[in-house]
Amino acid sequence: MNDPLQHIFESVSLLIPEVIITASLIITILLGLILKTNKHVILKTLALASYGLAIFIVLHHLPTTSTLLFGGMIRIDEFSSYFKFLFLTGGILGVWISGPQKENSSAEYFLLFHAVILGSCLLASSMNFIMVILSLELISLSSYLLTGFGFNKKSAEGSLKYFLFGTVATACMIYGISIIYGIAGTLDFSSELFLKNLIALSSPLLLIAGLFTLAGFLFKITAVPFHLWAPDVYESAPTPVVAFISVVPKLAGIAVLTKFTLAIHLFGQSGYNWQVILSVISLLSILIGNLSAIAQTNPKRMLAYSSVAQSGFLLVGLVAFGMDGIHFMLFYSTVFLVMNFLVFNALNQFENSYGELGIQSLAGLGTLSIIPSLAILIGFVSLTGLPPTAGFTAKLFIFGSLWGAYQQSGELILLVLFVIGLLNTVISLFFYLKIPYYLFIKEKKETANSIKSDVAGNLLSLILVIVLFYLFISPDKLMGWINKITFVL
Amino acid sequence: MSDHTLLFALGAFLFSAGLLIVLTKKNAIMILLGIELMLNASNLNLILFNRQNPTTYEGQFFALFVILVAVCEAAVGIAIILKAYHYFHTSVPDQFSDLKERN
Repeated sequence: MNDPLQHIFESVSLLIPEVIITASLIITILLGLILKTNKHVILKTLALASYGLAIFIVLHHLPTTSTLLFGGMIRIDEFSSYFKFLFLTGGILGVWISGPQKENSSAEYFLLFHAVILGSCLLASSMNFIMVILSLELISLSSYLLTGFGFNKKSAEGSLKYFLFGTVATACMIYGISIIYGIAGTLDFSSELFLKNLIALSSPLLLIAGLFTLAGFLFKITAVPFHLWAPDVYESAPTPVVAFISVVPKLAGIAVLTKFTLAIHLFGQSGYNWQVILSVISLLSILIGNLSAIAQTNPKRMLAYSSVAQSGFLLVGLVAFGMDGIHFMLFYSTVFLVMNFLVFNALNQFENSYGELGIQSLAGLGTLSIIPSLAILIGFVSLTGLPPTAGFTAKLFIFGSLWGAYQQSGELILLVLFVIGLLNTVISLFFYLKIPYYLFIKEKKETANSIKSDVAGNLLSLILVIVLFYLFISPDKLMGWINKITFVL
Repeated sequence: MSDHTLLFALGAFLFSAGLLIVLTKKNAIMILLGIELMLNASNLNLILFNRQNPTTYEGQFFALFVILVAVCEAAVGIAIILKAYHYFHTSVPDQFSDLKERN
């Protein structure tokens, strides 16, 4: 650390995945200016290739011991590497299902995809509030713009609403962080000083500042009470974009939320019980998400509420406040990524053939388009959490860890969360099985055209379904990998 | 009241004023103004608290980055508002009615 320049060079050499994505981003801008024909195909290939290369490097060439970079701004460890793997996989799937863009805007579209992934990778490994804000803003600003890529009235409205809600949440979060900085005297939330000062001064100010900061993270993961933007944005944005922003920014938010709550929990020495606060948020997310989803008639709005409930389930792993809980949360994140993309991919295929859809207009299409319909069925069974899919395994694990946490601490709220969570599996059956019911059992009213054949989409569905079944049959392989991850704040 | 308390109270006042503007004003441009006030309240806090921990310049640098973030937000925000204005001929989000619960 004697020579700052030397330190920066060493740091950059360990950030190769991010460097690849940045390079790919710059090349995308240049190619967007130069190319006249085949823009979409070339830029899509470039995006897929760079994400693939970055995954390879994340899996094989990053140090497994945790290393601090850039003077403590960023830390590379197994936890962040696993999340980077998830983000890049999400990026590949999102780019895969993106169709050609209207109005010759392919370059900007892929540019924003790169920016979201870059922000997520940095967010998952940041250890300092400055880095958290910068990468969170990179994700947010890019996703506001991506929402507007439908280039129609609805899309503009959704994008504006997303922007207004999002910036207010960010402003509250920055104010909260500024107060936390005042109490702790440092912006590095893993340092000794942070811990010492926060334990020494446990005033209500800390609770307020913590809640303000939490607001920004909860907004990103669409947890109640910061979920109001989700239905509008999900309905208005293009389906591949929805598939992407319902997974990657959400998992990035979960990654940084894990670090932040563990930091502010102060290893159980905090004057406030953050476990109870998070349990209540998780409980409300599951309950309100599922109950609101029942009445929806638009499939994308329904999936928005379902995604609120899913973030509640993801938070359950965090609520357990232990290494086990975090491991099972990582497993749930992986399964969530797979099943969400499975459903949205099939929905995208329907939309490409029939245009904007309500749930009713799907009636009787099941036999005409057998592959997407089966994909939707399996995806929803998995989202509900029924065997024989990985959604069941993930829910089993995550509630297992919650039960363990309850027996250890005896907090009543954990038991309530456990019971409500299990009951909600039944509630969610009502709306998850609504679309398959219309597809397979309802008679169709008029003769509809059969779906356009889409080899790439069908192939993707097949791969994702195989992954879901594989993770159900032998989860131990993935769990073995995840269990090796040690997470120290 | 010492200087520090006064400045912290000023920051809290700015933040509340900004939040009030966001909640009461209808026009998207006015909401952007409110957000700027909220961000500047945080800047004031950050610089104030940096004076209490003068060993590093973390707080002041954070304030610089917050200004940067505010500029980017304004740029993206105005672009989005313009796009919406193009379709709805107004920048009052309450009058946009394409997206709502339909039961």
